[in-house]
Amino acid sequence: MERFISHSAAETEAFAARLAGKLSGGEVIAYFGGLGMGKTTFTRGLARGLGWEGEVSSPTFALVHEYRCSPPLYHFDMYRVTSFDDLYSTGFFDYMENGGVLAIEWSENIETALPEDCIRISFDRLGDEEREITVEGLAL
Amino acid sequence: MKILGIDTSSVTASAAVYEEGKILAESFVNGKLTHSQTMMPILEDMLKNARLSLAEMDAFAVACGPGSFTGLRIGISAVKGLAFPAQKPCFGVSTLKALAYNLLGFEGVIVPAMDARCGQVYTASFLAREGRVERLTEDRALSLEQLGEELSAFWGEKEVFFVGDGGNLCYNKFRQEGRVCLPPPHLRFARAAAVCLAAEQEQPQSAAELAPRYLRLPQAERELLQKQKAKGEKTNDCTGK
Repeated sequence: MERFISHSAAETEAFAARLAGKLSGGEVIAYFGGLGMGKTTFTRGLARGLGWEGEVSSPTFALVHEYRCSPPLYHFDMYRVTSFDDLYSTGFFDYMENGGVLAIEWSENIETALPEDCIRISFDRLGDEEREITVEGLAL
Repeated sequence: MKILGIDTSSVTASAAVYEEGKILAESFVNGKLTHSQTMMPILEDMLKNARLSLAEMDAFAVACGPGSFTGLRIGISAVKGLAFPAQKPCFGVSTLKALAYNLLGFEGVIVPAMDARCGQVYTASFLAREGRVERLTEDRALSLEQLGEELSAFWGEKEVFFVGDGGNLCYNKFRQEGRVCLPPPHLRFARAAAVCLAAEQEQPQSAAELAPRYLRLPQAERELLQKQKAKGEKTNDCTGK
């Protein structure tokens, strides 16, 4: 388990970009932590670290955003996913097969469907800007 | 009657042309899941190499589920598009039944199993004898434990063959129980030629009638809801965000 204290969005992004260097494709990254904790910011850092230069925003409405970097990054938001049929019809299980990295906001909603070896990242609020980020399942 | 068959129900993709006891062409790709990019080129090249044209096809067959959500939609959409202009008949074949047809000519119980995730498989049982395949159960999603209970009647009685991408999972789980067999790769995975063979037993449909047959995972659904409930998460209220 790794702990990181971030003092700003920029630090969160930089930490995530460093973590991206440890990814080779096929990983599932599950985020835990509520609103405004920096999950999308973290994913922006991941995408930058994997070489994506375009926009990164929360896929609340589209459910999944695809960033065509190498390996590709699939950014899910499970906020509106409340049943197994919902999950199946996002193509979630198909995305797990095609060699990309999956980053999942609101993993709480699909916890029983997460693979056992997924990387778990929890966000805790320490102050207005400060966050404690805990990484389980990946050595940094 | 020339039947063009397609399977994109799992990570493998295949296409075949079959005519009364003859496979005229077949193509099989086991890559990553990008059927939307691979299926049409596979089809085009296969037809070209076999000197066949789409216009010659009398009917279309497709594995229509259970299986991968996107995979099924790609295969079925492709067949709908190919069949619609000339209103040619379509055959929607159970993916599991098509898998059982891989072992047409064998003697024993054939259990196709596809990994449905969350410890479950899409499965059904078929009896193969005298060159025929008879269905014993309908297509369902079961946990391996439930499948084990169901198969217990056959242990010691009949040889059980596991096929499909969940075949390995089942074989490892049940190898101590009785006479079980995991057929070699060329017989184990979904093949469009077997889709065509199984289609001969089906009623034709119009392109418009063809639809995917997804299977629910009641147990996974229940577990997901229990977990959400236990956490006190109220997630179906979009205005709360």
